[in-house]
Amino acid sequence: MKDFDLEGLSREMPYKMPEHFLDDMTERVVSQIGKQRKQHRERRIVALFAASVAAVALLFLHPFGGGLDIPSYESISQCASVDEVLQNMTAEELGVYSMMSNYYGN
Amino acid sequence: MKRDQSDIVNNQGSLSVSDESIARLLCDDNHVEEAVRLIMKKYGEPLYWHIRRMVVAHDDAEDCLQETMINVYKYRSTYSNEYPLSSWLYKIATNESLKLLKNRSGFTLSVDDLGDSLKDSVREEAAPDADETLILLQEAIALLPAKQKMVFNLRYYDDKSYEEIHQIVGDSVNTLKTNYHYAVQKIKDYILEHQL
Repeated sequence: MKDFDLEGLSREMPYKMPEHFLDDMTERVVSQIGKQRKQHRERRIVALFAASVAAVALLFLHPFGGGLDIPSYESISQCASVDEVLQNMTAEELGVYSMMSNYYGN
Repeated sequence: MKRDQSDIVNNQGSLSVSDESIARLLCDDNHVEEAVRLIMKKYGEPLYWHIRRMVVAHDDAEDCLQETMINVYKYRSTYSNEYPLSSWLYKIATNESLKLLKNRSGFTLSVDDLGDSLKDSVREEAAPDADETLILLQEAIALLPAKQKMVFNLRYYDDKSYEEIHQIVGDSVNTLKTNYHYAVQKIKDYILEHQL
């Protein structure tokens, strides 16, 4: 039976790669990555700005937490349990508590 | 950033940077673009030919290589130095090639059904002075199922070990050996049948 010696064949390809193709490709990829990084930086700046605006707005609404009437440590330590503390909270305080619980993940 | 001692300057004066150094640069936000340039310099050509052997047409290979490099940037944090950088790059390039072929085959066909159309592209894409046996070899490869094609190309053209091919393709070494064996047999049969 006839056989064909694949190992003896040249590893050359019958195609050609256009001249300067890899250099052009490198420049295109680097430029695209540069654009993506710029967009990423801009998005981060916008997010930081939005967070700062939200923080300033909170300070105006409740300067130094005064408006929230947060119970002191002493008043909390007098309570028998966390449930009791929660029961004594106003709806607004509960809202802040829930927001902070969600933020810290418990 | 400091380079490794393994980064050597060869006698032509150009820098041969180690994969470890490239990987470190890639994970450093201030040096990503430098890392991409180094990857293109070191692996651009082998990756291009790996893709080209899969998708045949230059324009498709161009799209795939560009997408491969963008994915290298996007998913750089997922690179683990457990595996060689080259295996990771080949894996991304292989996935991009398969993605392009999948898009080409549409919903009704599988990638393996594209054999005939890829085979026809081989002759269209071949250089006018190309050797007939080399064209026949590429036609035979184009007709192989995608898995056999990947394994054959990585072993025959890129001299990858079965362990490296396992890192790229994911199948067991025994499965890869079987795929290679079948691919070689089909290629030999095709060339013998069509050789003048």
